[in-house]
Amino acid sequence: MEFVMEHISKHFEKKEVLRDVEFVFESGKIYGLLGRNGAGKTTLFNCLNRDIKTDGGAFYLVENGSRREVKAEDIGYVLSTPTVPEFLTGREFLKFFIEINEGSISDVKPIDEYFDYMSIDVEDRDKLLKDYSHGMKNKMQLLINVIAQPNILLLDEPLTSLDVVVAEEMKQLLRALKDGRIIIFSTHIMDLALDLCDEIVLLNHGVLEAVDKTNLDNHEFKEKIIAALREENHE
Amino acid sequence: MNKTLRIAFSLKNTYRVNSILYSLKQIPLIKKILPQSVYKVMGLKIFANILSVIWEILSVFLGKFLYFIIMITGIGALYKTMPADSVFLHILLFLTTIGSFSNTHMFNPSRDKYYAIFLMRMNARTYTLTSYTYSILKILVGFLPFSIYFGRASGIPLWVCVIIPFFVAGAKMTVAAYSLWDYERKGFCYNENMLGKMLWIVIGILLAAAYGLPAIGIAAPHLVVYVIMVAAVPLGIVSAFKIYSFHEYREIQQQLQAQSMYQMDMAANATRNYSQKSISADTGITSSRKGFEYLNELFIKRHQKVLWKATQRISAVCSFLILGGLLLFYVRPETRKNANNLLMTFLPYFVFIMYAINRGTNFTRVLFMNCDHSLLTYSFYKQPKMILKLFRIRLREIIKVNLVPALIIGCGLALLLYASGGTDNVLNYVVLIVSIVCMSIFFSVHYLTIYYIFQPYNAGTEMKSGTYQIVLSATYIVCFCMMKLRMPTPVFGLLAIVFCIAYSIAACVLVYRYAPKTFRLRT
Repeated sequence: MEFVMEHISKHFEKKEVLRDVEFVFESGKIYGLLGRNGAGKTTLFNCLNRDIKTDGGAFYLVENGSRREVKAEDIGYVLSTPTVPEFLTGREFLKFFIEINEGSISDVKPIDEYFDYMSIDVEDRDKLLKDYSHGMKNKMQLLINVIAQPNILLLDEPLTSLDVVVAEEMKQLLRALKDGRIIIFSTHIMDLALDLCDEIVLLNHGVLEAVDKTNLDNHEFKEKIIAALREENHE
Repeated sequence: MNKTLRIAFSLKNTYRVNSILYSLKQIPLIKKILPQSVYKVMGLKIFANILSVIWEILSVFLGKFLYFIIMITGIGALYKTMPADSVFLHILLFLTTIGSFSNTHMFNPSRDKYYAIFLMRMNARTYTLTSYTYSILKILVGFLPFSIYFGRASGIPLWVCVIIPFFVAGAKMTVAAYSLWDYERKGFCYNENMLGKMLWIVIGILLAAAYGLPAIGIAAPHLVVYVIMVAAVPLGIVSAFKIYSFHEYREIQQQLQAQSMYQMDMAANATRNYSQKSISADTGITSSRKGFEYLNELFIKRHQKVLWKATQRISAVCSFLILGGLLLFYVRPETRKNANNLLMTFLPYFVFIMYAINRGTNFTRVLFMNCDHSLLTYSFYKQPKMILKLFRIRLREIIKVNLVPALIIGCGLALLLYASGGTDNVLNYVVLIVSIVCMSIFFSVHYLTIYYIFQPYNAGTEMKSGTYQIVLSATYIVCFCMMKLRMPTPVFGLLAIVFCIAYSIAACVLVYRYAPKTFRLRT
């Protein structure tokens, strides 16, 4: 499966945020999306998630050689600030989610199994989500996005504010998830991107470009990324 | 001090000008014309500056004018049995007492103070004193023309009229000085926006004294009022020394601002806290339904308080008023005929009443803050069939919330009509009940529809849609104008029923058509 973006553009009033985004993402890989502050990473995600309209261009999936439109259920989008319905308990949220998606979730498991999978403690499972900690909310959000098994998983700065243990758990989880789907992961933290991602993609000046790592060690690779980001901003 | 005043002014002016420009940018059509760089276009800036200056001048006089004409002489004119001058002095005395501690200026943690003292790091003492002096001067200048005009009109001696502004200022300064002294002793600062229970009770008592006593023929004797007024002047002067010599203004402002919402992310936090608090912690609440019905039932049950409390209150008040009307007919049968005429022509009035008691905007706000705000970030929730399924459920709920008071009012009106002498056509009763119920349904549909079509909030729970606000204002204006309309009840009732049904159908069609695209988080 491939996720193809063609000539996506988006501007806000006169500011051109996305100029001509073109890229082909392949399944089975984690892509690290790097870009400077205000480069448009979140805008790009919002466009892909259809929260905002693009001005032009298209994105679609290619499966077994045939192209098809990206549907809402193809995309899972995990935001940096976790948002969960605070009036539900963790268990209720999962139950609700599983019930309304009955048709589309393959092999539904018992709810506690999902909690175990995310290492959410037994005593927390029946608490209102408003009383969950930041990290736990994050886990819930990711869990919901994982159960539905979307073809594309967009993660916007997801690990930045988690403690080291939870962050490590999440990393393991993402690695385990990457088979058969495309994970695009935006971050400011270079080491995280290098550690977790199979490919590094830069969003700079409104276009996407891959950074080639062939023949470079981590240090040289880092230098190359920074140079690319810095240079283009001084054009 | 002069320099401080200048800086304070330009600071206040800058953010006022920017707010004006910002609100201009929220209006749909104008938004398109305005350039992106609106905040630096000279012509627009000058225009907004002029507005800002006009507003500053108006604020000196307009408030005082309204205060006198409504709160004092306006209400005062209702007490026909009492001499006008006594009522004037009496009400003024009590209202000034309330104002002296509930509207101090100094203990109001306003936004300009936060900007000046904490963001711009201006000297707290100089800034507070300057802006305080300015506010006292505004009182003196703003009060004088109206105290003379309205005072003389009520037959108050000229010298008293002249003293009134000084009395008001003196009272405020005395309270301010006392509070500062109190702070020195206890280290705890008075905040006029967070009055304790006791002070609210005091305000209630003073208000009752201001407007209640004249009704039973009691007013404070002139001499007493004069003595208090005159005494306030030297007290004010002594207080001025205290205020001037006080040195811990920064500490005070710090305490005040810490309790207020103007700090940068405090506003967002406050909304969050509020919405969290509105969730019931009752662990006994569960639901045996499935899917969206399950979500809805838990939502309604856990937000019972915010969603249903107002409805219950409104229903109680309406029942009470209707019983009162019935009682009146019984005690004073001569009122029946007039009431009967009113009931047969006053139905348009009820459009406004139904508008006023409708809980639609509150309902949709809670829906967003506590539910859609988070769920709209999940793609499964945004699938068209899911949106529409939930829309149907919510439509049912919002209609339910508003239907109880509507039924009470509708049946109540029919009952009043019957008790006031009835009507020769039975259909009139039916029209009354059905049209009121229809109006209620109309407003419910209306609010839910515009919520689904415009979805005005962004992820930070800020209202972002100018169009939504314009639709709300238009709704208000139309309903308000309905009060001016006089039409026989059966005619208007039937028209209302037809309109409401047609609108509701059209609205649902719109939602089915557009909501899958428009029901999104704003960015």
